[in-house]
Amino acid sequence: MTNHTYTPGGESIGRNVPRIDARAKATGETVYAGDLQIPGMTYGKLLRSPYAHARIRSIDTSAAKALPGVVAVLIGEDVLDINPYYGHAIKDRPLIAIDRVRFAGEPVAAVAAESLAIAADAVELIEVEYDPLQTVISIDEALAADAPHLHVTQLLKKGLFHGLGDFNLDPGNVCYHHSFARGDADAVFAGADIVVEGEYTFPGIYQYAMETHTTIASWNPLQDEVQLWSNCQHPFLVRAEIADLFGLPQNNVRITVPWLGGGFGSKSYTKMEPITVALARKARRPVRIANMVDESMVTTRRHGMNAWMRTAARSDGTLLAREVRAWFDTGAYADNGPRVVATGADAAPGPYRWEAVKVDSWGVYTNTSSAGSYRAFGASHLQWAGELQIDQIGRQCGLDGLQIRERNLLTPGEYVRPGGKPLDADLIGDIRQAAANLGWGTPKPDNVGRGLSVGLLAAGAHPVSTAFCRMEADGTVTVYGSSTDMGQGVRTVYTQIMAQELALPVSRIRVIGGDTQITPYDRSTGASRSTTLAGMAVKRAGGELRQQLLDIASREFGLPPDALEIRDAAVWHEDESRSFPDLIKAHFGMVGGELIGRGEVRPEQGSGSYAEGPVFWEVCIGGIELEVDQDTGKVRLLKTASVADVGKAINPDQVEIQEMGGIMQGLGNALWEEMLFDPQTGQLLNSTLFDYHIPTFGDLAVEHASSIVENEDGPGPYGSKGVGEGSLAGAIAAVATALYDAGVTIDQLPATPERIWRAMQKERME
Amino acid sequence: MLSAFTLHQPVSVTEASEMLRHYGDDAAIYAGGTELLVLMKERLVHFAHLIDIKQIPGLSSIAVDDAAGSMSIGSLASHRALERSPLIRERAPLLAEVESQVANIRVRNAGTIGGNLCFAEPHSDPATLFVAWDAHFTLASAGGSRTVAAADFFTGLLETAREPDELLTGIDLPLLPSGAGSSYQRFKTHERPAAAAAATLWVEDGRIRDARLVAGSVGIGPERLPATEEMIKGQEPDATLFARAAELAAASVFIEEEGFESAEYKRHLIGVLMKRALAQAAERAAS
Ligand SMILES: Cc1cc2nc3c(=O)[nH]c(=O)nc-3n(C[C@H](O)[C@H](O)[C@H](O)COP(=O)(O)OP(=O)(O)OC[C@H]3O[C@@H](n4cnc5c(N)ncnc54)[C@H](O)[C@@H]3O)c2cc1C
Repeated sequence: MTNHTYTPGGESIGRNVPRIDARAKATGETVYAGDLQIPGMTYGKLLRSPYAHARIRSIDTSAAKALPGVVAVLIGEDVLDINPYYGHAIKDRPLIAIDRVRFAGEPVAAVAAESLAIAADAVELIEVEYDPLQTVISIDEALAADAPHLHVTQLLKKGLFHGLGDFNLDPGNVCYHHSFARGDADAVFAGADIVVEGEYTFPGIYQYAMETHTTIASWNPLQDEVQLWSNCQHPFLVRAEIADLFGLPQNNVRITVPWLGGGFGSKSYTKMEPITVALARKARRPVRIANMVDESMVTTRRHGMNAWMRTAARSDGTLLAREVRAWFDTGAYADNGPRVVATGADAAPGPYRWEAVKVDSWGVYTNTSSAGSYRAFGASHLQWAGELQIDQIGRQCGLDGLQIRERNLLTPGEYVRPGGKPLDADLIGDIRQAAANLGWGTPKPDNVGRGLSVGLLAAGAHPVSTAFCRMEADGTVTVYGSSTDMGQGVRTVYTQIMAQELALPVSRIRVIGGDTQITPYDRSTGASRSTTLAGMAVKRAGGELRQQLLDIASREFGLPPDALEIRDAAVWHEDESRSFPDLIKAHFGMVGGELIGRGEVRPEQGSGSYAEGPVFWEVCIGGIELEVDQDTGKVRLLKTASVADVGKAINPDQVEIQEMGGIMQGLGNALWEEMLFDPQTGQLLNSTLFDYHIPTFGDLAVEHASSIVENEDGPGPYGSKGVGEGSLAGAIAAVATALYDAGVTIDQLPATPERIWRAMQKERME
Repeated sequence: MLSAFTLHQPVSVTEASEMLRHYGDDAAIYAGGTELLVLMKERLVHFAHLIDIKQIPGLSSIAVDDAAGSMSIGSLASHRALERSPLIRERAPLLAEVESQVANIRVRNAGTIGGNLCFAEPHSDPATLFVAWDAHFTLASAGGSRTVAAADFFTGLLETAREPDELLTGIDLPLLPSGAGSSYQRFKTHERPAAAAAATLWVEDGRIRDARLVAGSVGIGPERLPATEEMIKGQEPDATLFARAAELAAASVFIEEEGFESAEYKRHLIGVLMKRALAQAAERAAS
């Protein structure tokens, strides 16, 4: 067992360096967006539509405006001087409803007032007349031949970051279609010994970050400058969209990102920023809009999905072909739907060797709140269905869950999908480890099920990140990076990387971040990319600074740089050393000055497009042992197992915590969480924790065993690759396979006790 | 977002009752606030006057009267206090057990037993338990006080026998003699239980002398199941009897169509839970 304890001054990579934010968070000192007080700030509150689909006949804001303390009221007609439509994939969303609402909860008016209570009172004074329109709440309704169309799709424009190839939509409610095929699927299915087939349903789920969306905007009318404080994951992409919407140069828009109280994808891309900026523009005062939980729940969510899947195999358990059709409910506006649809499709075949695959997936507009990114999107929707079918085939061939996977899993270097990056992980080794962690093969009672699952997730998004670092005259270093620390600990990891590159103790390094006017470009925080890509930029920045120190030292020692070595915060030649402050002083001649290192990551070849990617394949492994109450269908989790195939664990504790958090959230997806929209009104029925259950510690398994696999096969610093999403998708799928092992075939998530009970009833009758 | 209100802090039951009479529909009693303030924040209800009864002395005591064979509990006792009280753990351990499962630690710390009962939310755990335990509630006003059996207190959905100017001041719980046993079984998927069953059995000479069986959380309030009680009275407690009784309980209980589970499934759950409750109550009666 390696000793992972960190000692100041020693190696910092692979050590459990304590979180740099732990103390402030534990003591409540951390400043979040909602804690900020901007001079002159007003408080915003939104009036949201009660209708899922309606024309707005009239809005009367006079009583609200007359209320003392109200500073401004914003409605659709106030934004007609700009093109008010945005959306990073498809520009389909007005920043505030314009003559029509498309989901219950859509902002129709916004009030800025001297206090939140006044704003809330004013909102109640706004009178809106609606003409209700026919709604399409479910995917099936939206796809029906006579369904009303939510958008004039032919006229929609591509967003700034569509990134998914051709864009031309037919009239209807489909906003994206992704498909690929290899081999002759029909022929292989026709000749196969075994075919399993099923239809599957996945619910809409809220990301449930503890902190809701909170944005403060100020608009300086003299300079047309916008300043935003927003708890967003992708500040640079938000900046570009705000600049585009309001016709401003990008450097007139500044976004500062405080610490986040969780993201999980809910704060990716642009969310509440446009409406907050528009309200600040009208109010001519800074304004804060802080969602309540029920408002954040209709701001973004995970896609619900209906799918059909079949898998063919030979009687010896050799997998042959898979065919998938999946429809993703993206709600009223596309948000990140197109990419979720594409990655979901890509992950659908699973990491197996197929003779033929055929996959089609669609993004579908419905009159519900819009759906976007959610941790582990792509793998979460279909891995469970695919893995369940693998076990169904295994049972018919007399192979257990480990054997059938060992027989069919891809090996490193094989192609995962036509084109793109070949497999960069040892999946067979990983799944064996998961099985071992679970106690595979040991005796157990009939009502206990054990399940494994393995999948891949296209991770990394676009590989563009930059960073720089400054070494001050006293030898301390500040790292400038724009990855958002939303609880995953990215700033701690950057500290470690910089400490390693410059042989400094972590206490001498500071990371600042998330300010588009100060810290350099980073594409986004998501897709398990921050350590791998932004971390690489940080490493390169540190490397460049290190080189400068060596060059200076080389002049000072009169020796070539390769005769020198950096350790213990100094440059050494044999047992003679010059400290960093010494070298900086020597370089600048006086007491001041600083060295600046710069690092960047960009596509190594090609354009970094989605088709050429991914940056790496994130491994999604799961192992679960559970017990099913035969009378009620209630599940008790006995053991969870995880395997983090991370190339190199820069901070093993953080890796393990990511794994556990992913599993916990995955269990929520698999067993409890489901947003219920009223089938008639489209209103969200369970918007409080009374009726929307997220996992608590009491729900967790009695035992958890995790392993970290370090094959140094990742593209990130020190051979690392990202972590944080794989265990989530793995856990969902392992719940499905473990239930199958316990005699329950589930085709709809979450697998509630009632659904399990019904599945058992069906099984008993057959 | 709370709208403005005036907070009153009476120091006696009489004073509180007079305030209730004075402000009428504009006032509400405020104990722990865990139900009331949530509704007010959601702007589902509004009261211009909140009458905070926490300054009234003596309303959170817990005591046993051995001569009367009963335990008395003040209405302001928090769930947490009931869960942790050494006296309750020793003399009425089932109450401590049930209380430890109510809600979550924050709600248990602030929420009072009186608030739970007066709100008469159909998924209340203590309501179901108290009906099965034949508890009696004391209601007091400026005009005097009266006692109401738990079974008569819950009159409908969020409705009780309490008059607008009355306070619930205390609960009287009979201590079970030896030969009697009680059990409470709940099933939950969300914050509040989806179904619950409570059974109290008095066993004499190997036969069930008396029984109080109650289904909870599935209807508009706790429901006593007299037909099932009759069926087991005079019988020997055994698994076959309990299976038949559970079937009858499930078949006869009223199920309200609401919540996350279907009526069919909730009916099934009542059967499962009643069977488990009967078995445990019989076991406790025998020990
Ligand atoms: C998240 C959550 C989960 C919960 N889960 C459960 C559960 O699992 N099981 C369960 O049984 N309960 C559950 N509850 C209910 C909980 O037990 C009650 O909220 C709590 O006991 C109410 O007490 P309170 O003192 O806060 O009442 P308050 O909110 O102060 O009052 C509630 C109502 O009763 C009235 N009232 C209060 N005290 C008196 C009195 N002495 N006389 C007359 N009227 C009075 C008030 O006017 C008000 O109408 C849950 C509640 C929450 C918020």
